[in-house]
Amino acid sequence: MVQVKAKLQARELQGAVQFLRVASSSMAERLQPGQPVLIKVGWGHDPFLRRTFYPISLESDAFVIRVPPDADRGRAWLRMAPEGTELDCLGPIGAGFTMPTQAQRILCVGRGESSWWLLPFVNAASDRGLAVTLAVEATTRRQIIPARDLPLSVEYHVATRDGSVGDKGDLTPALPSLLRWADAVVAAGPMAFYQQLRYTIESTRTILTRGYAQVLVATEFFCGYGACQSCVADVAGGRRRVCLRGPVFDMVDVFRS
Amino acid sequence: MLNLAPHNKLGLDIQSPLIAGSGVVGFGDVWPPGLHAQDFGAIITAPISASPRVGAAQPRLVETPGGFLLNTGGHNPGFRRVIDRHRTTWRRLSTPVILSLVGGEPGDRAWMAAHLEPLEDVIAGVALPISEDVNLSEAAAFIAAVRRATPLPILAQLPVTRAAYLAKTVLIAGADALIVGAPPPGAYPVRQGFIEGPMGGPAVFPYTVRALRRLADLDLDAPLIAAGGIYTLDDALLCLEMGVSAVQIRGLIWRDPAEAHRLAINIRPFMPQVEEIDPGET
Ligand code: FES
Repeated sequence: MVQVKAKLQARELQGAVQFLRVASSSMAERLQPGQPVLIKVGWGHDPFLRRTFYPISLESDAFVIRVPPDADRGRAWLRMAPEGTELDCLGPIGAGFTMPTQAQRILCVGRGESSWWLLPFVNAASDRGLAVTLAVEATTRRQIIPARDLPLSVEYHVATRDGSVGDKGDLTPALPSLLRWADAVVAAGPMAFYQQLRYTIESTRTILTRGYAQVLVATEFFCGYGACQSCVADVAGGRRRVCLRGPVFDMVDVFRS
Repeated sequence: MLNLAPHNKLGLDIQSPLIAGSGVVGFGDVWPPGLHAQDFGAIITAPISASPRVGAAQPRLVETPGGFLLNTGGHNPGFRRVIDRHRTTWRRLSTPVILSLVGGEPGDRAWMAAHLEPLEDVIAGVALPISEDVNLSEAAAFIAAVRRATPLPILAQLPVTRAAYLAKTVLIAGADALIVGAPPPGAYPVRQGFIEGPMGGPAVFPYTVRALRRLADLDLDAPLIAAGGIYTLDDALLCLEMGVSAVQIRGLIWRDPAEAHRLAINIRPFMPQVEEIDPGET
């Protein structure tokens, strides 16, 4: 974990959503897919808390974060910060996704905004020559990752609640066959999504084994190094600090409370 | 070098007037980037209770105007496990370690203090937070009970809004130094309802300053440690000018370890100079 001043190098707009490229080779070279960065927002002590971002792209000397519009004044500051602004970044936090050593066919599955956080892993797995399928469900088209942002080799399934892109509804009908195909799963979404995923895994594969599925337990972090105890979750047989034990957990541990 | 417990035979010597407040480095086992034990005159551990506490469920943290509100519910693995897991760490640290002992049942703190005897060469003292709703006789009773249980220096952490009211009683009962103070509790809305707990952040600093002004009028014969809302060198120097021997930081380390490191360096030249007091003379 390091604390660095990183330059807000470029801003790309897609509608009201911003993609910010943050230049810092010392941070970028440490970041693993699924590991968040905590960014100080504002000029003084207010807003007080750093904001948590899960990069959507990792390069050798920079990382990219996605900032959708919302009512948070800290993220509003970041959306308005001019290019060239020095951002105080703390990270990487905790443990990210690990590349499965035995698996050849990887299913990456996400819901809504969180599915963007899978992108660094999707790219890394594809670069390794693994067969990757990305399956995403979202409320609206705005949360969906455009197919052009994915490596050509990645198979892509989409479902939106309003049917504006891909299947209408959610991934429930598609998941059983995808799970039968995959020999490892990497997921990002809310806890209710993981419960549904676990249920589908157990009904298609009989048993959820350790090492089969990794999930990102997304939370906001304060200190990020295990001291403040603000980031706990009931996982792995107790109330654990996510910044120390996660944020990526084996799915078996997520349901071992 | 400054002694934070000049009336105690064991004393509590610190090399820097900057103290790492309760839990900012866990039990001395978790450190932010760029900060080390030698940056601090002493560290105070996360709160330790006699039995394990699972702590509050989520959400525990909320941002407030000018700060935050954090309620961990006293989450800790309990006295015995803390001692077993961390005694080796404490022995290796190059700064005094002060254990923060928190109550549950009456007598818990005295029980823990009594069991510290084998660690008296490793631990420099105990910090005893006093909650807002404790009255004079209750405060006197538990400080006196801990005093009887251990010769280690006792740092009583007074609730910031009642510091002047409790200070003399707590010192007479056996405290060696006063931490001023424990942050005021507050409540703030979150999506799931409210979080209630101690406040933190620069917004708390005026409470600390007010408490120090009240205590200055009492002319106490004990070192004071300022705590609460200290975020800049100017904040720290103001407290030192008001007569404190040391300042404690917490939220600054969590938010900005690099800034805390700068403060650790910049405050060293301002270490208060005090006359040596003969420990026999009370
Ligand atoms: S963010 Fe502070 S303990 Fe996890």
